[in-house]
Amino acid sequence: VTRLQCPFCGPRELREFQFHKTLPTGPGGSAYERTYERVADAERSLEHWQHVGGCRAWLHVERNPSTGAVLAVVLLGGMRP
Amino acid sequence: VKPPPPRQGCRLDAQPLQFSFDGRSYPGLAGDTAASALLANGVRLMGRSVKYRRRRGLLAAGPEEPNALFTVGARPDAIPNVSAPLLQLRDGLEFRSQNRWPTLGFDLASALQAGGGLFGAGFYYKTFIWPSWRWYETPIRHLAGLGEAPGRCDLPPPVLEHCSCDVVVAGAGAAGLAAALAAARAGAKVILCEREPACGGELEYEAALVGGVPARAWVRAALAELAALGARVLTHTTLVAESSGELLAHGEPGGLAGMNTLHYIRPRAFVIAMGAIECPIAFRDNDRPGVMLLNAAERYLARYGARCGQELVLFANNDRAYPAAQRLLAGGMRVRAIVDTRAADAAGAPAAALRDELRRAGVECLAAHAVLAAEGSTAVRGARVAPLADPAAARQIACDTILVSGGWAPALHAGLREGGSAEFQAGLGAFIASAQPAGRASAGAANGHLELAQVLRDGHEAGVRAARAAGAPGTPGAAPDGRGDGEPRLAPFARSPAPERWEKHQFIDLQNDVTVADLRTALAEGFLDIEHLKRYTTLGVGTEQGRTGGLLGAAILAELRSEALPGIGLSRTRPPYHPLTMRSIAGFRAGAAVKVARRTPLHEWHEAHGGVLDPMDLWLRPRYYRANGASASTAAVVEARQVRAHGGIADGSTLGKLEVAGPDAAAFLDYLYLNRASTIKPGRARYMVNLREDGCVLDDGLVLRLGAERFIATVSSSHGPHMLAHFEHYRATEFAGRRLTVTDVTEAWVAIVVAGPQSRAALERVLGAAWRDTLGTLGHMGFADGDCHGAGLRLLRASFSGELAFELHCRPASAVQLWQELCDAGLAPYGLDAVDILRVEKGYLVSSEINGETTPFDLGLDALAHAGNPCLGRELLDRPAFHEPQRPRLVGLRAADGRAAFLGGAQLTVPGELRRPCGYVTSSVYSPTLGEWLGLALVARSIDLEARLVARDPLRGGDVAVRVVPPVHFDPDGTRMKAQPASQGSATT
Repeated sequence: VTRLQCPFCGPRELREFQFHKTLPTGPGGSAYERTYERVADAERSLEHWQHVGGCRAWLHVERNPSTGAVLAVVLLGGMRP
Repeated sequence: VKPPPPRQGCRLDAQPLQFSFDGRSYPGLAGDTAASALLANGVRLMGRSVKYRRRRGLLAAGPEEPNALFTVGARPDAIPNVSAPLLQLRDGLEFRSQNRWPTLGFDLASALQAGGGLFGAGFYYKTFIWPSWRWYETPIRHLAGLGEAPGRCDLPPPVLEHCSCDVVVAGAGAAGLAAALAAARAGAKVILCEREPACGGELEYEAALVGGVPARAWVRAALAELAALGARVLTHTTLVAESSGELLAHGEPGGLAGMNTLHYIRPRAFVIAMGAIECPIAFRDNDRPGVMLLNAAERYLARYGARCGQELVLFANNDRAYPAAQRLLAGGMRVRAIVDTRAADAAGAPAAALRDELRRAGVECLAAHAVLAAEGSTAVRGARVAPLADPAAARQIACDTILVSGGWAPALHAGLREGGSAEFQAGLGAFIASAQPAGRASAGAANGHLELAQVLRDGHEAGVRAARAAGAPGTPGAAPDGRGDGEPRLAPFARSPAPERWEKHQFIDLQNDVTVADLRTALAEGFLDIEHLKRYTTLGVGTEQGRTGGLLGAAILAELRSEALPGIGLSRTRPPYHPLTMRSIAGFRAGAAVKVARRTPLHEWHEAHGGVLDPMDLWLRPRYYRANGASASTAAVVEARQVRAHGGIADGSTLGKLEVAGPDAAAFLDYLYLNRASTIKPGRARYMVNLREDGCVLDDGLVLRLGAERFIATVSSSHGPHMLAHFEHYRATEFAGRRLTVTDVTEAWVAIVVAGPQSRAALERVLGAAWRDTLGTLGHMGFADGDCHGAGLRLLRASFSGELAFELHCRPASAVQLWQELCDAGLAPYGLDAVDILRVEKGYLVSSEINGETTPFDLGLDALAHAGNPCLGRELLDRPAFHEPQRPRLVGLRAADGRAAFLGGAQLTVPGELRRPCGYVTSSVYSPTLGEWLGLALVARSIDLEARLVARDPLRGGDVAVRVVPPVHFDPDGTRMKAQPASQGSATT
């Protein structure tokens, strides 16, 4: 990944973004399981990023860590560009 | 200085210049490189090897040069490890050789080694272990390493350029030009990078025909056509790295070392046409000055008119030696012999015809022979030559230069990134890149083609494919036809026969002094894989990255393991593919651009009044004021005493302030904080604590309720940006769609802390009659808004010192005046160190205690945790691990004798178990109020109050006996902080 498609700003270099966390790919689970017992999926990673060097939007990024391909970037929480 | 012999080369013009090498002045010509000018001046010795300090001369004519690395410029701004063939001369340039002391001609370390033989692989690991490596480290480090790091960096910041295009072609030789032409004709936007100052590669000087015209004319025409088609040609620019489709090209315009331009290029397609590097052959003492690659000798002659020597012996495993010998003869050198490792009938017809011609010209042409050794102790004096069938029948051929051609290694590095792999090509005896990701391809010699017509065709086809991948619709035209030296018909030959005792003189990697003996040692010790071998022997590390020695090492490893070369493979090279200065890598990310300094509106006042400003996170904050003492420790004690006795003011503007507003603001803060914000009354503030998802304490601060739907949350100074992102994250996730806003108002408000018993009286004088009633009635944690000097002012009564204290939140424009009036009213400023003393006396928390590992229970915030607010992190607070007896608890510490000093960071143990800590000191200060050292500590819950512990600090203070006390050392009931004015007496809560 060297670029992410910010829904507000368009394609931007990765250095403008800050990684926040990965999310569990499976459903549900207790808080403990969601926080500590995540299993990394080699093909699918759900992540939260913030465009701190730009519009400060929070983004939900779906990525394939094996290939580096970005599968989807959407705004977190129903904001509309 | 003698005038140089007249020279003619395609790069030179007649403009003379002077340069200095190792303090001696030499003449050169404009267009020379350091390597060509030294060679033309007859200088052979250009460096010492890194480990054995052996004398070394030029081996190559490009960035692969392993020996001639120079330090350019004068200390302390010198740039080390500049490859001599890349260093463009300019008048007055100064550079020096490396790895020698005291001089290049006499090196003490090599003299010391002369008796002991050569240190092989693993020598250090095995030898310097008794009594300890530390005994040897300093002298060895003095000798080790490549070049010398500069004392400072005074290089100009690199110019950065981000660009995108359809096709990038790296390398403007025959293949690169053909590729760029094809792509540009098809309509693609092309960028062509060439590391040399001129384009053409070997076509620049080769007597070849392309498209029926002389090669140089074709190159000129091709460049003109590229320019007409809008292609961009970057000379002096090398492709240094590639990452996920972004290429990094490094340019030194004008060839000036250190004057850098970095191009970040995003192409749709990428053609690697960076050529192939000739391989050496290992024979005894093949590292002597005077042993050079054949192609390098030709380049020096043709480009710079510099002769590599006078009496030459050529040693090759391919046909190229014969046309090369003819050109070297024409250049005025004498070719004594051509030693061909192949049988007489292996040469192709043109080469065989040339061979007969050369024989008639007096060149001895030997087939199925090898050079066993280079003769001569400081430089080549002869070649020891023998038939391969009978190495014992060796004889010497006098010469001053041995030119070697052992095959070619295609430039692989860029082709092995991200999905590329190496594939063996039997005809070439070398590896090429394969399995490239879409849009990337190698072409020409980099793709294993060595005959000009094939190179041009391969380049053209790569350009066609690249243009198609980039979506260019046009027609690329036909591939140019070329006629140059024929197929080399090489027969792999890696090293000459040698008795095993010679193997430590058969060099493979000259830059790292790796010999055949080292490979044998590594194999004997189990380092079988090429990557393990690389780590153990250092084969292919350094600036050279295995460009000359990598393939040779793999071939010899295959021989020693009795295996086939394809199964051995090459070790992976790492970027940058070409050395560049750290300054270039840093780019604009240097100095203030990396770490901005944030200043409060009172910054100039602090500076003008003796404030000593220290960075804390990004903020510059006054640590103490010089008027109170010469050092932080003495001044802070004076300042803290003043606050308790009388009063003082401090700059608290750095405190982060986030304004949260909207109908859902209260619910939002309830979610983010352990205790509730929704129950705060307007006009009141509350001490609040945030948790992380995992239940650990993230931050603490006051939350002020301005109105029903409006709050200001204060966060730690160093946490401001992080807490803003934290708030924004939960606004975008858990509170998505809810009605609230989060605004960072940190810089909209200056905070002046006014603390001490006299604070109220001083404020009455400064703020005037309008504020008198408010000051009298405002209770602890209450605040009021109003005006002062015509600007908004918020008066908050809160304390981080344990004294009666207020915070004035005012606008930046009125801050200095207000601050100065408070000073005039008799309140002296105090710095951060005094703040620290005051808060430790009161057991208040900072990041030493809220360190990311502590829970609310650890920090004595149980009451907040038990309030039961279902907030972020709440669920995980109940896990058993947070309630085990080993969990820490915040306590106070004092020295057992009431006098001794102990410092933050000291480990705490029970007296009987000095080797097992039960906690550590988080903060410690000398308290002027209590007259002794006080500390805060996190110790296991199983340790009781009044327990005797040992604070162990072996590196600073030794052991100090301490006792555990409650964390609030001073005024535990808070009577000072909650004091009401004498006139009023009634408490306002």
